[in-house]
Amino acid sequence: MLIELENVTKVYNQGRSNEVQALTEVSLAIAPQTMVCLKGPSGSGKSTLLSIIGCIFAPTSGRATIAGKPLARLPDRFLTVHRRATIGFIFQRFNILPALSVAENIVLPLLPLGVSPKARRERAGALMDQLAIRHREHFPAGQISGGELQRVAIARALINDPPIILADEPTAHLDSRLSREFMQIMADLKAAGKTIVITSHDPLVTEHAAIDRVIGVKDGRIDVP
Amino acid sequence: MFLNAWSLALTLTSIAAIVLGAIACRTAIRVLRHWDPASDSERQIRLEGEIWLSSTLVAYGLGFQIVSVVLFVLAADEFCKVIVGAMCATGALLANSYGMPALLVKLAGVFFYGFWIVLHQLDIRSESYPLVRTKYFYLLAIYPLMVADFSLQTLYIAGLKPDIITSCCAVVFAAATGGGPNLLTIGSEGLQLILYYTTMALLAGLGGMLLWRRSPWLQTFYAAGWVWFFGLALVVITMVISSYIYAMPYHHCPFCILKPEYHFIGFGIYGALILGAFLGISAAAVEPCRKGAGLEQVVATYQQRAVQLSLGLLLLFALLTSYHYILYMAAGGEV
Repeated sequence: MLIELENVTKVYNQGRSNEVQALTEVSLAIAPQTMVCLKGPSGSGKSTLLSIIGCIFAPTSGRATIAGKPLARLPDRFLTVHRRATIGFIFQRFNILPALSVAENIVLPLLPLGVSPKARRERAGALMDQLAIRHREHFPAGQISGGELQRVAIARALINDPPIILADEPTAHLDSRLSREFMQIMADLKAAGKTIVITSHDPLVTEHAAIDRVIGVKDGRIDVP
Repeated sequence: MFLNAWSLALTLTSIAAIVLGAIACRTAIRVLRHWDPASDSERQIRLEGEIWLSSTLVAYGLGFQIVSVVLFVLAADEFCKVIVGAMCATGALLANSYGMPALLVKLAGVFFYGFWIVLHQLDIRSESYPLVRTKYFYLLAIYPLMVADFSLQTLYIAGLKPDIITSCCAVVFAAATGGGPNLLTIGSEGLQLILYYTTMALLAGLGGMLLWRRSPWLQTFYAAGWVWFFGLALVVITMVISSYIYAMPYHHCPFCILKPEYHFIGFGIYGALILGAFLGISAAAVEPCRKGAGLEQVVATYQQRAVQLSLGLLLLFALLTSYHYILYMAAGGEV
């Protein structure tokens, strides 16, 4: 399995008056080259689950093994290197820097790796061609449309060629046409060998043909129907 | 004599180190009792987070303590201005019975504290925290030294009175025949210099062999050589080298060479000696760490670099300590 969670529990603000039990004893396994959707209502814990898979948070207890390593529990210097190589994130609000150009946003993850400017341009160019945003290459990211912004976010997630793509509510701010386009891009990435985990309760995502499995999340637990 | 900038700086630095150390000792006890890297329990994951913060705090605390040696000597040099009979740090440190012990404990601390920092740096270069138990056990072992360091320093500062009459370095380190209470004599000047340069040459040879072919035995001899050389060098600097730097045959003092009138050459001399000795000794001391998961190459790299650097520092030390002597001999007298 590429992603394995065993008895993962996550508690925020542990021991304080505002303690929140976000996940309770969650176990799941995701095989390589599959597309999985984490489905559940707002506050069910699916974003926390995605953050643990993405090693943004360490679990409070339990084990999260990503690509054979308990990534979130590695010392920081190793975690950063492995996460950068293994996981690409597409955030709900895209988290694009509006003052930078489209191309500059896309190559951001390459900067700490010391990749040469020429190689950065080539890799970004190939992704912009693939995602049909080449014509916006030098536009400030703050001046492009929502659909284009999302493609920039996808290109940025793919620039390191990670085997795992995580997308948190990616269609929440898109109309149905852009949502379908997004899912088509994800289907193409899956066909190209990527493992994709998406959180959503949008039927356009959960019922898409490319989705191999829908995992229900409710009250911080896997919801077995 | 607490109410002056030097005493306050020293005291606050030491209190910070002691407090950070105490916090880390609490973590150390938990690590020794509960650390289990194979466990996915809440306690283990919390400990993994806790050791990061606590190790960083300790590294800074011990770093402060190491720097405080320089601060302590500079402070003593400053105190001499108000103590009757004292001309430099020697007199100030001998103004009560805690000064010299405090300095010696601080000097020992440089090595013990420094070694914790080395252990920590090696540990964080492996994915699996292989040295966590070792470094926290070691922290508990050296914490009493930190407390002793702080206590002696506080007693020393508290016991300093401007009306105390003390001796100046010229009396303390005068030749035995001079009638003064000489602290250091291990033979004639010629014998001391022969021992000094022979040991230096042997150390350089051992270091060169180590770079050519790694061996734990050679490593141990090299470390032992540095321990011997460190003590010998302190004596030779005081009894022989310093008088050539001062260009005064009867002036022997290990502290006056730190003064601006001698171009602060003492900082270079002691810096090279202490750092060189630390690196030479620590290269052997980390040998058992090779067994830690993922540390074989990391330790080998550290040892190689430590030996290279210690040899470079030995060369620098040799140049700095020999310069005035050679100049004096070449010029046939005072220059």
